[in-house]
Amino acid sequence: MDKTQTESDRDLPQVRTQGLNLYYGPDRVLWSLNFDIPRGCVAAFIGPSGCGKSSYLRCLNRMNDFIPGARVEGHVLIDGADIYAPGVDVIALRRRVGMVFQKPNPFPMSIYENVAYGPRLFGVKNREALDETVRSSLEGAALWSEVKDKLNTLGTGLSGGQQQRLCIARAIATEPEVLLMDEPTSALDPLSTSRIEELIRDLKSRFTVAIVTHNMQQAARISDYTAFFLLGELVEYGPTSRIFTVPEDKRTEDYITGRFG
Amino acid sequence: MLHTRKRGTTSPHFGGWGDRVAARTALSVSTVCILIMGFILYFLVKESLPVLKATTLSELLFGMDWYPQETPPALGMFPLIMSSLAVTFLSSAIGLPVSLAIAVFTAEIAPRRLRNLVKPLLELLGFIPSIVFGFLGMVVVAPWLQDRFSLLTGLNMANASALLGMMMVPIVGSLADEALCAVPRELRDASYALGATRWETIRRVVLPSALPGILSASLLGVMRATGETMVMLMAAGGAAVIPRSLFDPVRPLTSTIAAEMGETPVGSEHYHALFFAGLILLLITLAINLLSAKIEAKGFKLKGGNL
Repeated sequence: MDKTQTESDRDLPQVRTQGLNLYYGPDRVLWSLNFDIPRGCVAAFIGPSGCGKSSYLRCLNRMNDFIPGARVEGHVLIDGADIYAPGVDVIALRRRVGMVFQKPNPFPMSIYENVAYGPRLFGVKNREALDETVRSSLEGAALWSEVKDKLNTLGTGLSGGQQQRLCIARAIATEPEVLLMDEPTSALDPLSTSRIEELIRDLKSRFTVAIVTHNMQQAARISDYTAFFLLGELVEYGPTSRIFTVPEDKRTEDYITGRFG
Repeated sequence: MLHTRKRGTTSPHFGGWGDRVAARTALSVSTVCILIMGFILYFLVKESLPVLKATTLSELLFGMDWYPQETPPALGMFPLIMSSLAVTFLSSAIGLPVSLAIAVFTAEIAPRRLRNLVKPLLELLGFIPSIVFGFLGMVVVAPWLQDRFSLLTGLNMANASALLGMMMVPIVGSLADEALCAVPRELRDASYALGATRWETIRRVVLPSALPGILSASLLGVMRATGETMVMLMAAGGAAVIPRSLFDPVRPLTSTIAAEMGETPVGSEHYHALFFAGLILLLITLAINLLSAKIEAKGFKLKGGNL
Protein backbone atom coordinates (compact mmCIF):
# COMPACT_ATOMS: atom_id res chain seq x y z
CA MET A 1 0.00 0.00 0.00
CA ASP A 2 2.77 2.39 0.95
CA LYS A 3 4.92 2.46 -2.15
CA THR A 4 6.95 5.51 -1.16
CA GLN A 5 8.90 3.95 1.65
CA THR A 6 12.52 5.00 1.89
CA GLU A 7 15.32 2.47 2.18
CA SER A 8 15.77 3.16 5.87
CA ASP A 9 12.08 2.37 6.47
CA ARG A 10 12.51 -0.90 4.73
CA ASP A 11 15.33 -1.88 7.06
CA LEU A 12 13.12 -1.28 10.08
CA PRO A 13 11.33 -4.23 11.60
CA GLN A 14 7.78 -4.29 10.33
CA VAL A 15 6.15 -4.76 13.73
CA ARG A 16 7.83 -3.37 16.85
CA THR A 17 6.26 -4.03 20.20
CA GLN A 18 7.47 -1.78 22.99
CA GLY A 19 6.44 -2.17 26.61
CA LEU A 20 3.00 -3.47 25.68
CA ASN A 21 0.59 -4.12 28.54
CA LEU A 22 -2.97 -5.24 28.01
CA TYR A 23 -5.72 -5.23 30.63
CA TYR A 24 -9.20 -6.68 30.47
CA GLY A 25 -10.86 -4.66 33.19
CA PRO A 26 -8.87 -5.35 36.34
CA ASP A 27 -7.08 -8.37 34.84
CA ARG A 28 -3.66 -7.88 33.39
CA VAL A 29 -3.39 -10.07 30.30
CA LEU A 30 -0.06 -9.06 28.76
CA TRP A 31 3.02 -8.05 30.72
CA SER A 32 5.52 -5.61 29.19
CA LEU A 33 6.11 -7.22 25.84
CA ASN A 34 9.15 -6.08 23.87
CA PHE A 35 10.11 -7.62 20.57
CA ASP A 36 10.37 -7.00 16.83
CA ILE A 37 9.02 -8.93 13.87
CA PRO A 38 11.19 -8.37 10.77
CA ARG A 39 9.66 -7.63 7.40
CA GLY A 40 8.78 -10.61 5.23
CA CYS A 41 9.05 -13.19 7.99
CA VAL A 42 6.69 -15.64 9.58
CA ALA A 43 6.55 -15.20 13.34
CA ALA A 44 4.85 -17.96 15.31
CA PHE A 45 3.39 -17.49 18.79
CA ILE A 46 3.22 -20.60 20.92
CA GLY A 47 2.20 -21.24 24.49
CA PRO A 48 -0.48 -22.96 26.53
CA SER A 49 -4.13 -21.83 26.28
CA GLY A 50 -4.83 -18.54 27.99
CA CYS A 51 -1.22 -17.37 27.80
CA GLY A 52 -2.17 -14.22 25.90
CA LYS A 53 -0.89 -15.04 22.44
CA SER A 54 -4.25 -14.53 20.75
CA SER A 55 -4.83 -11.38 22.79
CA TYR A 56 -1.47 -10.11 21.57
CA LEU A 57 -2.39 -10.87 17.98
CA ARG A 58 -5.60 -8.87 18.39
CA CYS A 59 -3.57 -5.92 19.65
CA LEU A 60 -1.89 -5.68 16.25
CA ASN A 61 -5.09 -4.74 14.41
CA ARG A 62 -6.82 -3.28 17.44
CA MET A 63 -9.57 -5.88 17.47
CA ASN A 64 -9.35 -5.67 21.25
CA ASP A 65 -11.04 -2.29 20.95
CA PHE A 66 -14.35 -4.16 20.80
CA ILE A 67 -13.87 -5.86 24.15
CA PRO A 68 -15.47 -3.77 26.90
CA GLY A 69 -12.91 -2.83 29.51
CA ALA A 70 -9.88 -3.63 27.36
CA ARG A 71 -7.02 -1.17 27.86
CA VAL A 72 -3.60 -1.02 26.24
CA GLU A 73 -0.41 0.59 27.52
CA GLY A 74 2.83 0.88 25.60
CA HIS A 75 3.44 1.02 21.89
CA VAL A 76 3.01 -1.10 18.81
CA LEU A 77 4.82 0.34 15.81
CA ILE A 78 3.93 -0.88 12.37
CA ASP A 79 6.30 0.54 9.78
CA GLY A 80 7.51 2.91 12.45
CA ALA A 81 4.11 4.44 13.23
CA ASP A 82 2.51 3.85 16.62
CA ILE A 83 -0.92 2.29 16.06
CA TYR A 84 -1.99 3.30 19.57
CA ALA A 85 -1.10 6.96 19.09
CA PRO A 86 -4.07 9.31 19.51
CA GLY A 87 -5.97 9.98 16.31
CA VAL A 88 -4.88 6.82 14.54
CA ASP A 89 -7.36 5.76 11.86
CA VAL A 90 -8.30 2.25 12.97
CA ILE A 91 -10.11 1.54 9.71
CA ALA A 92 -6.98 2.36 7.70
CA LEU A 93 -4.90 0.27 10.11
CA ARG A 94 -7.10 -2.78 9.60
CA ARG A 95 -6.69 -2.41 5.87
CA ARG A 96 -2.94 -2.70 6.34
CA VAL A 97 -3.15 -5.54 8.85
CA GLY A 98 -5.32 -8.42 7.63
CA MET A 99 -6.60 -11.20 9.83
CA VAL A 100 -7.56 -14.85 9.45
CA PHE A 101 -9.52 -16.36 12.30
CA GLN A 102 -9.48 -19.69 14.08
CA LYS A 103 -12.81 -20.85 12.71
CA PRO A 104 -13.32 -20.36 8.98
CA ASN A 105 -15.84 -17.52 8.78
CA PRO A 106 -16.77 -16.81 5.18
CA PHE A 107 -19.69 -14.45 4.74
CA PRO A 108 -22.95 -16.06 3.56
CA MET A 109 -22.37 -14.65 0.09
CA SER A 110 -20.89 -15.96 -3.12
CA ILE A 111 -17.22 -16.85 -3.30
CA TYR A 112 -16.71 -13.85 -5.54
CA GLU A 113 -18.45 -11.46 -3.16
CA ASN A 114 -16.49 -12.79 -0.21
CA VAL A 115 -13.19 -11.92 -1.83
CA ALA A 116 -14.48 -8.66 -3.31
CA TYR A 117 -15.81 -7.52 0.08
CA GLY A 118 -12.66 -5.67 1.17
CA PRO A 119 -11.92 -3.95 -2.16
CA ARG A 120 -15.57 -2.91 -2.43
CA LEU A 121 -15.32 -1.30 1.00
CA PHE A 122 -12.53 0.91 -0.29
CA GLY A 123 -14.73 1.96 -3.15
CA VAL A 124 -13.42 -0.24 -5.97
CA LYS A 125 -16.36 -0.43 -8.36
CA ASN A 126 -14.65 -1.15 -11.64
CA ARG A 127 -15.73 -4.61 -12.72
CA GLU A 128 -12.47 -5.60 -14.38
CA ALA A 129 -10.40 -4.40 -11.44
CA LEU A 130 -12.58 -6.41 -9.05
CA ASP A 131 -12.44 -9.48 -11.28
CA GLU A 132 -8.66 -9.22 -11.38
CA THR A 133 -8.36 -8.80 -7.60
CA VAL A 134 -10.66 -11.76 -6.99
CA ARG A 135 -8.68 -13.94 -9.36
CA SER A 136 -5.25 -12.99 -8.05
CA SER A 137 -6.35 -13.29 -4.41
CA LEU A 138 -7.85 -16.73 -4.96
CA GLU A 139 -4.69 -17.75 -6.79
CA GLY A 140 -2.65 -16.35 -3.92
CA ALA A 141 -4.69 -18.49 -1.52
CA ALA A 142 -4.24 -21.58 -3.73
CA LEU A 143 -8.00 -21.86 -4.21
CA TRP A 144 -8.48 -20.54 -7.74
CA SER A 145 -8.28 -23.82 -9.60
CA GLU A 146 -10.89 -25.38 -7.31
CA VAL A 147 -13.48 -22.61 -7.46
CA LYS A 148 -12.94 -20.77 -10.73
CA ASP A 149 -16.01 -22.39 -12.28
CA LYS A 150 -18.31 -21.70 -9.34
CA LEU A 151 -17.51 -18.19 -8.19
CA ASN A 152 -21.21 -17.41 -7.85
CA THR A 153 -21.96 -20.22 -5.44
CA LEU A 154 -22.10 -19.71 -1.70
CA GLY A 155 -18.73 -19.46 0.04
CA THR A 156 -20.24 -21.24 3.02
CA GLY A 157 -20.86 -24.29 0.83
CA LEU A 158 -17.15 -25.09 0.52
CA SER A 159 -15.32 -27.63 2.65
CA GLY A 160 -13.67 -26.44 5.87
CA GLY A 161 -10.20 -26.24 4.36
CA GLN A 162 -11.47 -24.46 1.27
CA GLN A 163 -13.42 -22.05 3.47
CA GLN A 164 -10.27 -21.17 5.38
CA ARG A 165 -8.36 -20.59 2.14
CA LEU A 166 -11.28 -18.42 1.00
CA CYS A 167 -10.85 -16.41 4.21
CA ILE A 168 -7.15 -16.06 3.43
CA ALA A 169 -8.03 -14.89 -0.08
CA ARG A 170 -10.47 -12.41 1.42
CA ALA A 171 -7.79 -11.11 3.78
CA ILE A 172 -5.12 -10.70 1.10
CA ALA A 173 -7.52 -9.10 -1.38
CA THR A 174 -7.03 -5.80 0.45
CA GLU A 175 -3.25 -6.13 -0.04
CA PRO A 176 -2.29 -5.80 3.61
CA GLU A 177 1.31 -5.54 4.75
CA VAL A 178 0.88 -7.77 7.76
CA LEU A 179 -1.27 -10.88 7.94
CA LEU A 180 -2.43 -12.09 11.34
CA MET A 181 -3.51 -15.70 11.69
CA ASP A 182 -5.17 -16.95 14.84
CA GLU A 183 -4.78 -20.75 14.87
CA PRO A 184 -5.87 -20.91 11.23
CA THR A 185 -5.61 -24.69 10.98
CA SER A 186 -6.97 -25.82 14.34
CA ALA A 187 -10.38 -26.65 12.87
CA LEU A 188 -9.01 -28.43 9.80
CA ASP A 189 -7.97 -31.94 8.84
CA PRO A 190 -4.28 -32.79 8.28
CA LEU A 191 -4.45 -32.52 4.50
CA SER A 192 -6.05 -29.07 4.55
CA THR A 193 -3.58 -28.09 7.25
CA SER A 194 -0.58 -28.97 5.13
CA ARG A 195 -2.03 -27.05 2.19
CA ILE A 196 -2.43 -23.97 4.34
CA GLU A 197 1.06 -24.33 5.79
CA GLU A 198 2.42 -24.49 2.28
CA LEU A 199 0.43 -21.40 1.49
CA ILE A 200 1.81 -19.52 4.49
CA ARG A 201 5.36 -20.26 3.33
CA ASP A 202 4.46 -18.72 -0.05
CA LEU A 203 2.68 -15.76 1.50
CA LYS A 204 5.69 -14.49 3.41
CA SER A 205 7.29 -13.29 0.21
CA ARG A 206 4.50 -10.72 0.06
CA PHE A 207 3.42 -10.23 3.65
CA THR A 208 4.78 -10.33 7.13
CA VAL A 209 2.87 -13.14 8.80
CA ALA A 210 2.11 -13.40 12.52
CA ILE A 211 0.56 -16.73 13.41
CA VAL A 212 -0.75 -18.16 16.66
CA THR A 213 -0.58 -21.93 16.82
CA HIS A 214 -1.05 -24.71 19.31
CA ASN A 215 0.83 -27.07 17.10
CA MET A 216 4.54 -26.96 17.87
CA GLN A 217 5.49 -28.91 14.79
CA GLN A 218 3.59 -26.36 12.76
CA ALA A 219 5.52 -23.51 14.34
CA ALA A 220 8.77 -25.34 13.65
CA ARG A 221 7.81 -26.08 10.06
CA ILE A 222 6.59 -22.71 8.89
CA SER A 223 8.05 -19.93 11.01
CA ASP A 224 11.29 -17.95 10.93
CA TYR A 225 10.84 -16.60 14.44
CA THR A 226 9.09 -18.11 17.40
CA ALA A 227 7.78 -16.42 20.52
CA PHE A 228 6.93 -18.48 23.58
CA PHE A 229 4.25 -16.95 25.81
CA LEU A 230 3.44 -18.01 29.33
CA LEU A 231 0.85 -16.35 31.59
CA GLY A 232 0.91 -13.15 29.57
CA GLU A 233 4.67 -12.84 29.51
CA LEU A 234 7.02 -13.30 26.63
CA VAL A 235 9.36 -15.98 27.94
CA GLU A 236 11.56 -16.30 24.93
CA TYR A 237 11.76 -14.98 21.41
CA GLY A 238 14.24 -15.76 18.69
CA PRO A 239 14.89 -17.57 15.43
CA THR A 240 12.78 -20.70 15.26
CA SER A 241 15.76 -22.92 14.55
CA ARG A 242 17.36 -21.83 17.82
CA ILE A 243 14.21 -21.88 19.96
CA PHE A 244 13.50 -25.45 18.97
CA THR A 245 17.09 -26.70 19.32
CA VAL A 246 18.79 -24.74 22.06
CA PRO A 247 16.17 -22.79 24.03
CA GLU A 248 17.69 -20.50 26.61
CA ASP A 249 14.88 -20.69 29.10
CA LYS A 250 14.10 -23.86 31.02
CA ARG A 251 10.32 -23.23 30.67
CA THR A 252 10.56 -23.02 26.88
CA GLU A 253 12.44 -26.29 26.80
CA ASP A 254 9.87 -27.95 29.05
CA TYR A 255 7.02 -26.70 26.88
CA ILE A 256 8.42 -27.68 23.50
CA THR A 257 9.51 -31.07 24.74
CA GLY A 258 6.00 -31.62 26.06
CA ARG A 259 6.72 -31.67 29.75
CA PHE A 260 3.83 -29.29 30.40
CA GLY A 261 1.15 -27.33 28.55
CA MET B 1 -27.36 -56.39 24.59
CA LEU B 2 -28.77 -53.44 22.77
CA HIS B 3 -28.61 -54.67 19.22
CA THR B 4 -30.08 -58.07 19.94
CA ARG B 5 -33.24 -56.74 21.57
CA LYS B 6 -36.38 -57.45 19.59
CA ARG B 7 -38.38 -54.54 18.27
CA GLY B 8 -41.22 -53.60 20.52
CA THR B 9 -39.72 -54.76 23.77
CA THR B 10 -39.76 -52.13 26.43
CA SER B 11 -36.69 -50.37 27.65
CA PRO B 12 -36.33 -47.33 29.84
CA HIS B 13 -33.59 -46.17 27.48
CA PHE B 14 -33.52 -45.02 23.88
CA GLY B 15 -36.63 -46.07 22.00
CA GLY B 16 -38.28 -47.23 25.21
CA TRP B 17 -41.71 -46.45 26.60
CA GLY B 18 -40.73 -42.89 27.53
CA ASP B 19 -39.82 -42.14 23.95
CA ARG B 20 -42.97 -43.76 22.68
CA VAL B 21 -45.25 -41.86 25.06
CA ALA B 22 -43.62 -38.61 24.00
CA ALA B 23 -43.79 -39.48 20.31
CA ARG B 24 -47.44 -40.48 20.48
CA THR B 25 -48.39 -37.40 22.48
CA ALA B 26 -46.73 -35.18 19.91
CA LEU B 27 -48.39 -37.10 17.12
CA SER B 28 -51.88 -36.90 18.58
CA VAL B 29 -51.61 -33.22 19.48
CA SER B 30 -50.45 -32.32 15.99
CA THR B 31 -53.12 -34.54 14.43
CA VAL B 32 -55.82 -32.75 16.41
CA CYS B 33 -54.43 -29.40 15.31
CA ILE B 34 -54.38 -30.40 11.67
CA LEU B 35 -57.91 -31.78 11.97
CA ILE B 36 -59.17 -28.54 13.49
CA MET B 37 -57.51 -26.56 10.70
CA GLY B 38 -59.13 -28.88 8.19
CA PHE B 39 -62.57 -28.39 9.75
CA ILE B 40 -62.19 -24.61 9.75
CA LEU B 41 -61.32 -24.67 6.08
CA TYR B 42 -64.17 -27.11 5.38
CA PHE B 43 -66.82 -24.96 7.08
CA LEU B 44 -65.48 -21.79 5.52
CA VAL B 45 -65.82 -23.30 2.06
CA LYS B 46 -69.13 -24.99 2.84
CA GLU B 47 -70.71 -21.82 4.21
CA SER B 48 -69.34 -19.56 1.51
CA LEU B 49 -70.11 -21.56 -1.62
CA PRO B 50 -73.93 -21.11 -1.56
CA VAL B 51 -73.44 -17.43 -2.31
CA LEU B 52 -72.52 -18.45 -5.85
CA LYS B 53 -76.16 -19.48 -6.35
CA ALA B 54 -77.21 -15.86 -5.90
CA THR B 55 -74.48 -14.19 -7.89
CA THR B 56 -71.49 -15.00 -10.07
CA LEU B 57 -67.88 -15.33 -8.98
CA SER B 58 -66.74 -12.43 -11.13
CA GLU B 59 -69.54 -10.25 -9.77
CA LEU B 60 -68.45 -11.15 -6.22
CA LEU B 61 -64.77 -10.46 -6.83
CA PHE B 62 -64.97 -7.50 -9.18
CA GLY B 63 -68.38 -5.97 -8.51
CA MET B 64 -68.13 -2.37 -7.41
CA ASP B 65 -71.24 -2.17 -5.24
CA TRP B 66 -71.61 -3.57 -1.75
CA TYR B 67 -75.24 -3.09 -0.68
CA PRO B 68 -75.94 -6.41 1.00
CA GLN B 69 -79.18 -5.32 2.67
CA GLU B 70 -80.99 -4.37 -0.54
CA THR B 71 -83.31 -6.70 -2.38
CA PRO B 72 -81.82 -8.20 -4.40
CA PRO B 73 -78.50 -7.62 -2.53
CA ALA B 74 -75.53 -6.13 -4.39
CA LEU B 75 -72.60 -8.28 -3.34
CA GLY B 76 -69.60 -6.74 -5.13
CA MET B 77 -66.56 -7.07 -2.89
CA PHE B 78 -63.97 -5.34 -5.04
CA PRO B 79 -63.89 -2.20 -2.84
CA LEU B 80 -63.52 -4.37 0.27
CA ILE B 81 -60.69 -6.39 -1.22
CA MET B 82 -58.94 -3.24 -2.43
CA SER B 83 -59.37 -1.67 1.01
CA SER B 84 -57.81 -4.68 2.68
CA LEU B 85 -54.87 -4.72 0.29
CA ALA B 86 -54.35 -0.97 0.45
CA VAL B 87 -54.38 -0.90 4.25
CA THR B 88 -52.06 -3.90 4.41
CA PHE B 89 -49.64 -2.28 2.01
CA LEU B 90 -49.73 1.16 3.60
CA SER B 91 -49.41 -0.08 7.17
CA SER B 92 -46.50 -2.31 6.15
CA ALA B 93 -44.84 0.63 4.46
CA ILE B 94 -45.14 2.52 7.74
CA GLY B 95 -44.54 -0.27 10.24
CA LEU B 96 -41.80 -2.40 8.69
CA PRO B 97 -39.13 0.30 8.22
CA VAL B 98 -39.76 1.57 11.75
CA SER B 99 -39.53 -1.98 13.14
CA LEU B 100 -36.32 -2.65 11.26
CA ALA B 101 -34.77 0.61 12.40
CA ILE B 102 -35.65 -0.20 16.01
CA ALA B 103 -34.27 -3.73 15.65
CA VAL B 104 -30.99 -2.45 14.20
CA PHE B 105 -30.79 0.04 17.02
CA THR B 106 -31.43 -2.43 19.84
CA ALA B 107 -29.35 -5.25 18.34
CA GLU B 108 -26.42 -3.37 16.89
CA ILE B 109 -26.11 0.17 18.13
CA ALA B 110 -27.54 0.51 21.62
CA PRO B 111 -25.22 -0.30 24.50
CA ARG B 112 -26.19 -3.47 26.36
CA ARG B 113 -27.73 -1.60 29.25
CA LEU B 114 -29.99 0.48 27.01
CA ARG B 115 -30.98 -2.64 25.05
CA ASN B 116 -32.00 -4.38 28.27
CA LEU B 117 -34.29 -1.44 28.94
CA VAL B 118 -35.73 -0.88 25.46
CA LYS B 119 -36.36 -4.49 24.49
CA PRO B 120 -38.77 -5.40 27.33
CA LEU B 121 -40.50 -2.07 26.85
CA LEU B 122 -40.97 -2.86 23.18
CA GLU B 123 -42.33 -6.29 23.99
CA LEU B 124 -44.67 -4.77 26.55
CA LEU B 125 -46.13 -2.56 23.81
CA GLY B 126 -47.09 -5.76 22.03
CA PHE B 127 -49.49 -6.62 24.84
CA ILE B 128 -51.64 -3.53 24.30
CA PRO B 129 -55.06 -4.80 23.14
CA SER B 130 -55.99 -3.69 19.64
CA ILE B 131 -59.13 -1.99 20.92
CA VAL B 132 -56.91 0.46 22.78
CA PHE B 133 -55.23 1.33 19.51
CA GLY B 134 -58.65 1.72 17.91
CA PHE B 135 -59.74 4.00 20.72
CA LEU B 136 -56.57 6.03 20.27
CA GLY B 137 -57.38 6.34 16.59
CA MET B 138 -60.90 7.55 17.28
CA VAL B 139 -60.30 10.09 20.00
CA VAL B 140 -56.75 11.30 19.31
CA VAL B 141 -55.59 10.68 15.76
CA ALA B 142 -58.88 11.27 13.96
CA PRO B 143 -59.64 14.75 15.35
CA TRP B 144 -56.05 15.79 14.81
CA LEU B 145 -56.04 14.60 11.19
CA GLN B 146 -59.36 16.30 10.61
CA ASP B 147 -58.13 19.65 11.91
CA ARG B 148 -54.66 19.49 10.46
CA PHE B 149 -55.67 18.58 6.91
CA SER B 150 -59.24 19.94 7.09
CA LEU B 151 -60.77 16.63 6.06
CA LEU B 152 -64.38 15.54 6.12
CA THR B 153 -63.47 12.75 8.50
CA GLY B 154 -60.37 11.75 10.39
CA LEU B 155 -61.46 8.15 10.34
CA ASN B 156 -59.72 7.01 7.18
CA MET B 157 -57.07 4.86 5.62
CA ALA B 158 -54.11 6.96 6.77
CA ASN B 159 -55.34 6.84 10.35
CA ALA B 160 -55.95 3.08 10.43
CA SER B 161 -52.69 2.34 8.59
CA ALA B 162 -50.63 4.44 10.94
CA LEU B 163 -52.14 2.66 13.94
CA LEU B 164 -51.65 -0.73 12.36
CA GLY B 165 -48.07 0.18 11.51
CA MET B 166 -47.48 1.03 15.15
CA MET B 167 -49.07 -2.26 16.22
CA MET B 168 -46.61 -4.14 14.04
CA VAL B 169 -43.56 -2.53 15.57
CA PRO B 170 -43.37 -4.46 18.87
CA ILE B 171 -43.63 -7.93 17.37
CA VAL B 172 -41.70 -7.32 14.15
CA GLY B 173 -39.06 -5.22 15.89
CA SER B 174 -38.54 -7.74 18.63
CA LEU B 175 -38.30 -10.73 16.26
CA ALA B 176 -36.02 -8.88 13.85
CA ASP B 177 -33.83 -7.97 16.81
CA GLU B 178 -33.52 -11.67 17.66
CA ALA B 179 -32.63 -12.44 14.06
CA LEU B 180 -29.90 -9.79 14.06
CA CYS B 181 -28.51 -10.97 17.38
CA ALA B 182 -28.31 -14.52 16.03
CA VAL B 183 -25.77 -13.48 13.38
CA PRO B 184 -22.50 -15.03 14.56
CA ARG B 185 -19.87 -12.80 16.10
CA GLU B 186 -17.26 -14.29 13.81
CA LEU B 187 -18.88 -12.68 10.78
CA ARG B 188 -18.81 -9.26 12.36
CA ASP B 189 -15.20 -9.78 13.41
CA ALA B 190 -14.26 -10.76 9.87
CA SER B 191 -15.88 -7.64 8.52
CA TYR B 192 -14.27 -5.32 11.06
CA ALA B 193 -10.88 -6.95 10.49
CA LEU B 194 -11.18 -6.07 6.80
CA GLY B 195 -11.50 -2.42 7.71
CA ALA B 196 -15.26 -2.08 7.59
CA THR B 197 -17.00 0.51 9.73
CA ARG B 198 -19.83 -0.46 11.99
CA TRP B 199 -22.44 0.77 9.53
CA GLU B 200 -20.79 -1.05 6.60
CA THR B 201 -20.74 -4.21 8.69
CA ILE B 202 -24.42 -3.88 9.55
CA ARG B 203 -25.46 -3.12 6.00
CA ARG B 204 -23.30 -5.57 4.08
CA VAL B 205 -22.93 -8.50 6.48
CA VAL B 206 -25.34 -8.49 9.40
CA LEU B 207 -28.54 -7.50 7.60
CA PRO B 208 -28.09 -9.90 4.66
CA SER B 209 -27.23 -12.74 7.04
CA ALA B 210 -30.30 -12.06 9.15
CA LEU B 211 -32.55 -11.61 6.13
CA PRO B 212 -34.53 -14.88 6.42
CA GLY B 213 -35.36 -14.13 10.06
CA ILE B 214 -36.22 -10.52 9.32
CA LEU B 215 -38.42 -11.62 6.46
CA SER B 216 -40.43 -14.05 8.54
CA ALA B 217 -40.77 -11.43 11.27
CA SER B 218 -42.07 -8.97 8.69
CA LEU B 219 -44.46 -11.59 7.40
CA LEU B 220 -45.97 -11.96 10.85
CA GLY B 221 -46.46 -8.21 10.95
CA VAL B 222 -48.07 -8.09 7.52
CA MET B 223 -50.40 -10.93 8.48
CA ARG B 224 -51.38 -9.09 11.59
CA ALA B 225 -52.22 -6.04 9.51
CA THR B 226 -54.30 -8.08 7.07
CA GLY B 227 -56.22 -9.82 9.80
CA GLU B 228 -56.66 -6.92 12.20
CA THR B 229 -60.32 -6.14 12.73
CA MET B 230 -60.89 -3.90 15.71
CA VAL B 231 -58.71 -1.01 14.58
CA MET B 232 -60.30 -1.17 11.15
CA LEU B 233 -63.75 -1.14 12.61
CA MET B 234 -63.02 1.85 14.81
CA ALA B 235 -60.63 4.00 12.79
CA ALA B 236 -60.86 3.13 9.11
CA GLY B 237 -64.10 4.95 8.39
CA GLY B 238 -66.06 2.07 6.91
CA ALA B 239 -66.99 3.33 3.43
CA ALA B 240 -67.15 0.55 0.87
CA VAL B 241 -65.41 2.47 -1.90
CA ILE B 242 -62.04 2.03 -3.55
CA PRO B 243 -59.66 4.45 -1.81
CA ARG B 244 -58.30 7.10 -4.15
CA SER B 245 -56.33 9.12 -1.63
CA LEU B 246 -54.61 8.45 1.69
CA PHE B 247 -57.45 10.24 3.47
CA ASP B 248 -60.33 8.26 2.00
CA PRO B 249 -62.30 6.13 4.44
CA VAL B 250 -62.00 2.41 3.72
CA ARG B 251 -63.87 -0.76 4.63
CA PRO B 252 -61.62 -3.82 4.66
CA LEU B 253 -62.95 -7.40 4.59
CA THR B 254 -62.27 -7.98 8.27
CA SER B 255 -64.29 -5.12 9.67
CA THR B 256 -67.06 -5.84 7.18
CA ILE B 257 -67.43 -9.36 8.55
CA ALA B 258 -67.30 -8.16 12.13
CA ALA B 259 -69.80 -5.38 11.62
CA GLU B 260 -72.35 -7.25 9.54
CA MET B 261 -72.28 -10.84 10.74
CA GLY B 262 -74.46 -10.07 13.75
CA GLU B 263 -77.02 -8.23 11.63
CA THR B 264 -77.72 -10.79 9.01
CA PRO B 265 -80.06 -13.82 9.09
CA VAL B 266 -78.27 -17.16 9.12
CA GLY B 267 -78.44 -18.75 5.67
CA SER B 268 -79.16 -15.56 3.75
CA GLU B 269 -77.14 -14.60 0.70
CA HIS B 270 -75.50 -11.87 2.73
CA TYR B 271 -74.53 -14.45 5.38
CA HIS B 272 -72.87 -16.67 2.80
CA ALA B 273 -71.19 -13.68 1.18
CA LEU B 274 -69.56 -12.79 4.48
CA PHE B 275 -68.16 -16.31 4.73
CA PHE B 276 -66.88 -15.83 1.22
CA ALA B 277 -65.13 -12.67 2.40
CA GLY B 278 -63.43 -14.79 5.05
CA LEU B 279 -62.32 -17.22 2.37
CA ILE B 280 -60.83 -14.36 0.34
CA LEU B 281 -58.95 -13.17 3.43
CA LEU B 282 -57.55 -16.65 3.86
CA LEU B 283 -56.43 -16.69 0.25
CA ILE B 284 -54.80 -13.26 0.58
CA THR B 285 -52.74 -14.33 3.59
CA LEU B 286 -51.85 -17.55 1.80
CA ALA B 287 -50.69 -15.54 -1.21
CA ILE B 288 -48.57 -13.26 0.99
CA ASN B 289 -47.04 -16.35 2.54
CA LEU B 290 -46.18 -17.91 -0.79
CA LEU B 291 -44.83 -14.62 -2.08
CA SER B 292 -42.50 -14.23 0.86
CA ALA B 293 -41.28 -17.80 0.46
CA LYS B 294 -40.50 -16.95 -3.11
CA ILE B 295 -38.68 -13.74 -2.17
CA GLU B 296 -36.70 -15.66 0.41
CA ALA B 297 -35.69 -18.29 -2.13
CA LYS B 298 -34.70 -15.56 -4.53
CA GLY B 299 -32.66 -13.81 -1.85
CA PHE B 300 -30.46 -16.88 -1.63
CA LYS B 301 -29.88 -16.95 -5.34
CA LEU B 302 -26.76 -14.92 -5.38
CA LYS B 303 -25.88 -11.97 -7.38
CA GLY B 304 -22.23 -11.77 -8.18
CA GLY B 305 -19.59 -11.42 -10.79
CA ASN B 306 -18.60 -13.52 -13.69
CA LEU B 307 -15.08 -13.78 -14.90
